[in-house]
Amino acid sequence: MKIKVAEKLDNINDLLGEIKRSSSEIGAVTIFVGSARSIGEDGSRVLRLEYEAYEEAAVKALEKIICDLREKYGIIDVIIEHRVGWVGVGEDIVYALVASKHREEGFKSTIELVERLKREVPIWKKEVTEKGSRWIEGT
Amino acid sequence: MVKVKVRYFGRIRELTGLREEEYEVENATSLAELLLKHIPERHNDISREWRETVFTTVRGEVSMDRNGNPVLRDNYVILVNGRVREVSYRLMDGDEVAVLPPVGGG
Repeated sequence: MKIKVAEKLDNINDLLGEIKRSSSEIGAVTIFVGSARSIGEDGSRVLRLEYEAYEEAAVKALEKIICDLREKYGIIDVIIEHRVGWVGVGEDIVYALVASKHREEGFKSTIELVERLKREVPIWKKEVTEKGSRWIEGT
Repeated sequence: MVKVKVRYFGRIRELTGLREEEYEVENATSLAELLLKHIPERHNDISREWRETVFTTVRGEVSMDRNGNPVLRDNYVILVNGRVREVSYRLMDGDEVAVLPPVGGG
């Protein structure tokens, strides 16, 4: 398991190599990449996103989610990285990689991981558009 | 007296203009007293907005549950030393209180 909440993400290919090396039993790696859209929640043009986190608590919350997913689906390993600070349009925000024996548990775990990330992990997003800025909560 | 650190995030950080600050309060002070008395007293200029942002209010008055505790706004959470606590929690020396607005990562 690797969890990182930081200003920069690692290279996605390096992360893929890293998770594949964690076990010879891996038959599937499911990857989610979240990136910054150019159009905001209200339809206006996005200038940037601003993320902040309660980092210690965010890491703990992600550990708990990953443990739950391991227990529920029997997945082998997870790497998740989330940015904080300013994120420009088109830039990546989050990488989630789930290694499993088969694709089905990988897909299910990845969906649940990202959904729970948005609802449970203390990370906040502010959308700054040409019309102003607002905090985006639980979308 | 007990000393506690209070950390603010997201829209709450913006409202107070602070990431964190310290309070020295009487022994056995509850989280509710910290949030409804001590913090608004220090930040008098935003006290009404603070109450209406963090707590459920009706016509400016904070709603109370049947035990007489103030009711937080939906999806607002208070952590003490990383653990979710009720507002009736009694503060201890060295506690770190975090006021979390609704999250929205990803």
